[in-house]
Amino acid sequence: MSQSFRISGGLIDRSSPMHFTFNGKRMEGYAGDTLASALLANGQKLVGRSFKYHRPRGILSAGPEEPNALVQLRTGAAQEPNTRATVAELFDGLSATSQNHRGSLEFDLMAITDLAAPFLSAGFYYKTFMWPKAFWEKLYEPMIRASAGLGTLSMKEDPDTYDKGFLHCDLLIIGAGPSGLIAALTAARSGARVILADEDFRLGGRLNSETFALDDMEGGIWAEQVAAELQSLSNVRIMTRTTVYGAYDHGVFGALERVTDHLKSSGGKPRQILWRIYSKRSLLCAGATERPIAFSNNDRPGIMLAGAVRSYVNRFGVAPGKNVTVFTNNDDGWRTASDLIAKGVTVRALIDVRDGVSPPDLYGTEVITGGRIIDTAGRKALSSITLKNGRKITTDCLAVSGGWNPTVHLTCHQRGKPVWNEDILAFVPSGVLPEGMRVAGAANGVFGLSSALQGASEVTAGILTDLGMSSKAAALPVAEDEAQSGIAFWHVKESKKRAWVDLQNDVTVKDIKLSYQEGFRSVEHLKRYSTLGMATDQGKTSNIAGLAILAECSGKTISETGTTIFRPPYTPVPIGALAGRARGKDFRPYRLTPSHRWAEANGATFVETGNWMRAQWFARAGEKGWRDSVDREVEMTRASVGICDVTTLGKIDIQGKDAAEFLNHVYTNAFLKLPVGKVRYGLMLREDGIAYDDGTTARLGENHFVMTTTTANAVLVFRRLEFARQCLWPNLDVHLISTTDGWAQFAVAGPNARNLLAKVVDAPFDLSNEAFPFMACAEVSVCGGTPARLFRISFSGELAYEIAVPAKYGNSMMDVLMKAGAEFNAVPYGTEALGVMRIEKGHAAGNELNGQTTALNLGLGGFVSSKKDCIGKTLSQRPELNLPDAIRLVGFKPVNSSDALLAGSHFITKGDAATMENDQGWMSSVAYSPTLGHSIGLGFIKRGHERMGEVVRVVNPARGVEVEAEIVSPHFYDPEGGLQRG
Amino acid sequence: MAEFSLKADAFLGGFHKDYGTVVVTEVTDRAIASFALPLGGEAQAEKTIKSVLKLDLPSVGTAAQSEDGATTLLRLGKDQLFCLMDKQPDGHGAHRALSEKLAGTVFTTDQSDVWVSLTIRGPDSLRALERICPIDLHPGSFEVGALARTVMEHLGTVIIRNSDDEYTLMSASSSAKSFLHAIETSIENVL
Repeated sequence: MSQSFRISGGLIDRSSPMHFTFNGKRMEGYAGDTLASALLANGQKLVGRSFKYHRPRGILSAGPEEPNALVQLRTGAAQEPNTRATVAELFDGLSATSQNHRGSLEFDLMAITDLAAPFLSAGFYYKTFMWPKAFWEKLYEPMIRASAGLGTLSMKEDPDTYDKGFLHCDLLIIGAGPSGLIAALTAARSGARVILADEDFRLGGRLNSETFALDDMEGGIWAEQVAAELQSLSNVRIMTRTTVYGAYDHGVFGALERVTDHLKSSGGKPRQILWRIYSKRSLLCAGATERPIAFSNNDRPGIMLAGAVRSYVNRFGVAPGKNVTVFTNNDDGWRTASDLIAKGVTVRALIDVRDGVSPPDLYGTEVITGGRIIDTAGRKALSSITLKNGRKITTDCLAVSGGWNPTVHLTCHQRGKPVWNEDILAFVPSGVLPEGMRVAGAANGVFGLSSALQGASEVTAGILTDLGMSSKAAALPVAEDEAQSGIAFWHVKESKKRAWVDLQNDVTVKDIKLSYQEGFRSVEHLKRYSTLGMATDQGKTSNIAGLAILAECSGKTISETGTTIFRPPYTPVPIGALAGRARGKDFRPYRLTPSHRWAEANGATFVETGNWMRAQWFARAGEKGWRDSVDREVEMTRASVGICDVTTLGKIDIQGKDAAEFLNHVYTNAFLKLPVGKVRYGLMLREDGIAYDDGTTARLGENHFVMTTTTANAVLVFRRLEFARQCLWPNLDVHLISTTDGWAQFAVAGPNARNLLAKVVDAPFDLSNEAFPFMACAEVSVCGGTPARLFRISFSGELAYEIAVPAKYGNSMMDVLMKAGAEFNAVPYGTEALGVMRIEKGHAAGNELNGQTTALNLGLGGFVSSKKDCIGKTLSQRPELNLPDAIRLVGFKPVNSSDALLAGSHFITKGDAATMENDQGWMSSVAYSPTLGHSIGLGFIKRGHERMGEVVRVVNPARGVEVEAEIVSPHFYDPEGGLQRG
Repeated sequence: MAEFSLKADAFLGGFHKDYGTVVVTEVTDRAIASFALPLGGEAQAEKTIKSVLKLDLPSVGTAAQSEDGATTLLRLGKDQLFCLMDKQPDGHGAHRALSEKLAGTVFTTDQSDVWVSLTIRGPDSLRALERICPIDLHPGSFEVGALARTVMEHLGTVIIRNSDDEYTLMSASSSAKSFLHAIETSIENVL
């Protein structure tokens, strides 16, 4: 098929031919074509099937509003469904296929649904598939899903990459038509930082599609000249192929730049970029969208919007038909006829629904006033139309104009509701606009070219004044306001057959009337019941006609009927672009502990804890599973000495004259008199009295503390302290800074911990129990002068220390500790062994401080000082939190020592049924204790502290497991604490 | 002589790469100390800092550099500054020496190993930073000597404009590799 519909002229580059395929058929187009214009040039009118009835559909528009011509572009993993052919830029080698049909496009087996149309009226699935109830999920819904829908995904990983970015400007101009260009020129010459964004690949907007003259130049040429000047200015950023899709708070906009969609290959660069644009002011110059008129069988391929026909003829050098007919309710349709005639395309007739109008001389073309089209014919492409008087006109293209709607979408993104303007028979932006936004040109309901230019220039001058700049207005080109009167004519009432309002969702005039009849009177309800205005085009060509018909039904005006509003995105944004770089391993950043390299080299298996990668265990040859490794690590630590990287615990440096008082307010227990050189365990509550976080805080100096937090809450606690410092007690002299990343910290635990450390801590520091007892801290040096901090604290219950060195020495320090510990058979241990030992010792951790438990529940009631106030203290005293049967943290051991306890199990008193009413509490942490030789658990049970020795049912309905366990002290290991103090 | 000795590792192994129009270099010999100005003692702190460092306190959001370029003060907030000391591989030692001079008037904390520092320079550095830096780096908004705390690819970052086309980026040392990956991806995406 050669380009048999190609005509002369246009803004395409005929010296750059491009080959592409549609459904495997090889075709040719030119640089500057869209896929739609190239298809039309090749005479391909049938391009898809409709959503519901699988009706043959062609190309309706020449822009982003396209409801019909949705295709799949590219192949394999790069296949992208639901792409509008009207905005897809042609490139050499493009492969496009039609979608939503079973069998070929020409012979779609699913077209049989069209015969069932009487049963598939508006809301049919709400009322048709009611019985039997069980069939909905298993039969009806899958059936509907299989038959309806648009394109399909490749189900392969997207091979392209995407990026995002941030831009800033004084003025963001959205749309580079005549209004946008004159605004950009004015703002740019005035020195403002301007971003001019347009979704098209060519600046000029409708100027490229019309034959208007500006300063005696063709509109497209004028646009090129303005664009050239703008390109030369350093304060202007021109962004073509960029759709500003959303207006957000504070002048922030979302924009999608299609960087390589017009290229065969992205060359390894991001295919699309999602920009966040921060603007001081914005100017919406998004133009207007033409609307069709509904009449019987108005959905056949070849029936197009009149403005689109002009675009194809004037911009792309393509005749959408050889014998075109124009059907209009406004003067705009006349221009379509004259443009076609000027290009040598036969116009069979100009049919104007208005009586008594006199179009200009159309060189003898038949003009029918007061005309109505009541039917059309042509199975896969339009072949004729029938007028109300029964006359049939043979035609292969019908250009329809039902008037224009200002493209107000972005004005609605912060709840602005457009208002009806009876003069232009369209909704225009209301006074409620996104912050900093103004609207100009056709988007503001100003349709005449000269008026639009004038208005845009004036609005821009006002914006510049707002910004404190003096406006250097660009001289306005000489232009005229085109004729533009029209009447309200939404559908041909004489139509006897289905007349489509929403082509994408197959919503007809009858559907809207039926919805109204069934009680859906609100536009919002109508939309959802009938699906009018849904899916990828969001009703850009259908909404107004739908509202008008609803208004007719109710006898109200359109203004009284109101309109739905729009939310982002203006046009579809691929999920890939929204995800950007956040895919796979780059989903989020990773934090590595200082000894990560050492751990990698020594067989560590890592676990993600928050963003941290922590060593979970260190497998050795011959070990059959993780339990072998973990048991060994626990046993060797308890037998001699183990080393664990605990850098991930939050560290907050707290200094100030009032630092001690500050901590006294933050923690439930007293810190005011903590001696220098000592560490104390501290518990924090939320404002509502629930336990928040715990850790140890060391006093390094009179006014200097170092707080540790749990790994998970490090950032939250820091934020909370900052809030307390700045907002609760601004009169205290307290200063906070995180040092989490600054220090590599290692737990050295086990009977030989002191002996090991004695080999690395520099003399003359005395590590003896007398000189450096349990809960002591000191600033020391190691390995011949490297500064270090030493804390005598124990999470494992062993004689233990935590030693910290500057993070840059962390990897080396792990190596040194292991070498120094070789003679003691030192072992590195990971988070699993750490967890086992803390459960054996009965320490609460994240499982216990889960946002539901109080200090009382945790057995830490004594830590809430009665002598001072602290955050959360008052509300922790609420009666409901202090009932006699409050849950208490206790230990559990299985009656049958071979039984494994499961975390998440619930406790039921023996003899009671396992029901919610009888729930006594839950198991929060479990582990196999290699020290005790059986499973152990920590859990909360009502009055647990009074029930020692009682055997309860441990029920896990989710896993179908039940065992019996005895309530015991949570301190399974060394309950007296002699080891850690030794 | 101690039985064991420790070896310091640069967080990114002393990364340096020339991409043509952008060059990225890890700064490995910079000591960083944070200064907190005591409540009610700001004037005295300012006086002492000026006396010790020969530098006036910059205003919030700007940096001040000593004449020899070896010391830079970053005013991060009303009562918080960072002092960057170049050619000081022993961060802790440099901090200790400085804190002794400032003792009693300024609360100091060694931050040398908290941060990984990178310089990014070259004519396309701004284009690369546009992909990850949410703040406005236009020279009219972010002059030479300006600094800001921001977030890049989820990572807290301090950015300082050193010259027309050179910036220093500081981010958490534990996520240094992810941070570098973000910067490299940005550069590769724009070049």
